[in-house]
Amino acid sequence: MVYIRILENFWEAFLLGIGYTLLLSLVGTIVGLVIALILGVVKSIQAIPKRKASRIALKVGQTLIQLYVTVIRGTPMMVQAMIFYYVFRRMGLLWTPLEAGLFTVSVNTGAYLTEVVKNGIESVPKGQEEAAKSLGMNRFKAMSLVILPQAIKTQMASIGNEFIINIKDTSVLNVIMISELYYVAEDAAMRYSSFLEAMLIAAVIYLFLTYTTSKLLKLFENKLGVKTLDIVSSN
Amino acid sequence: MNKIISIRNLKKSFGENIILRDIHLDFYEGEVVCIIGSSGTGKSTLLRCLNGLESIDEGLITFDGMDITSPKTDLNLVRTKIGMVFQEFNLFYNMNVLKNCVIGQTKVLHRSLEEASQIAMKNLEEVGLSKFVNVDVATLSGGQKQRVAIARSLSMNPKVMLFDEPTSALDPEMVGEVLETMKVLAKKGMTMIIVTHEMSFAREIANRILFMDNGMILEDGSPEQIFEHPTYDRTKEFLKRFR
Repeated sequence: MVYIRILENFWEAFLLGIGYTLLLSLVGTIVGLVIALILGVVKSIQAIPKRKASRIALKVGQTLIQLYVTVIRGTPMMVQAMIFYYVFRRMGLLWTPLEAGLFTVSVNTGAYLTEVVKNGIESVPKGQEEAAKSLGMNRFKAMSLVILPQAIKTQMASIGNEFIINIKDTSVLNVIMISELYYVAEDAAMRYSSFLEAMLIAAVIYLFLTYTTSKLLKLFENKLGVKTLDIVSSN
Repeated sequence: MNKIISIRNLKKSFGENIILRDIHLDFYEGEVVCIIGSSGTGKSTLLRCLNGLESIDEGLITFDGMDITSPKTDLNLVRTKIGMVFQEFNLFYNMNVLKNCVIGQTKVLHRSLEEASQIAMKNLEEVGLSKFVNVDVATLSGGQKQRVAIARSLSMNPKVMLFDEPTSALDPEMVGEVLETMKVLAKKGMTMIIVTHEMSFAREIANRILFMDNGMILEDGSPEQIFEHPTYDRTKEFLKRFR
């Protein structure tokens, strides 16, 4: 049977593919969240700074963030991966496909989560910031000690959702020759001229990964005491 | 008595809406001042100007000799010396009771965790909540939350405590415990400025009453003077509703 032949010869490659897929989605989600925390905070600033220079800097910063979010969300990750990989190579940065892939997923996730972080910050009642200020906290302390922890908690479901989306969507990174799960499946498919079988194997593995991850996230969220999303939508 | 806060020519408006018209006012150390008046007369805004939560349009506010309206003044430093208790408690929901009372001390005043915890414990004991130290704040009743908020402010060792309608968001049966806590605080000599609608409480606790109307301090005097012999008809009319 072709399934058995594929698995016999490719099980190691599949395991490695799973490893790459998880590495890309986990690192991408974490780095993306860090990007989003910084950009989301800047995007959420509504107070108008007193000094003219800060006012201009804020306006420029917020416009650039909006541009980043719009461009990244408006283009496919597959295209972004190709462009990043080749553009930076042409500029002399001889990075590996994996490095380019990690960069792409991080930048992509950052754009999606910036909006999530901003919404989270806006969902925290204004009184929290006022109470923090009244204790003498500066803006940074109020944000990092009081507001962001609560903002992230309310958005845990969306952040987890983004991780699951990344598990699936990193499959497009085969275009820059990263041997993640889909790449391995395609490799096996060509070797045995059995596209359907290889893709079904890949599908089952993806489903297993996303299903287990969503269950694990649910456990984690229950422990935090936050509401969860049931349906995982795609970007 | 030492002057602690002084306000000169304070003006504030939100857009077309004039909230405060030319306020002149001094507060002294050890005073317990209650600000009364109808809703929308600028009481809360005035209070919030005192620690810079509201910016002002014109005028001067000094605290302990520092001009808090000047951009050169470190407002965060000033705020450590002015405690603020809000109508909606505003406890930090990502921290337990003790952490709420510790965080400002460690992160702003840079006290050691040990010292901060001791101070927090002492204040929680004073508001009668020493048994709730490790409790999640979301599980507390409104009255308990407000008492934690008072302990949180006290833990910074402020020179003045501001109270912005501290019992207005509470169920009636919980108002008493908060007012009781405030009375104890007043007896200890804390300087307190309280915006309140609790007239009998104001009369009992305050040694000075301000009656605000239409963005101005209409009357300023002892409780007896304001409650028994108010100068203006507007005050009489307002007080009649509480008899």
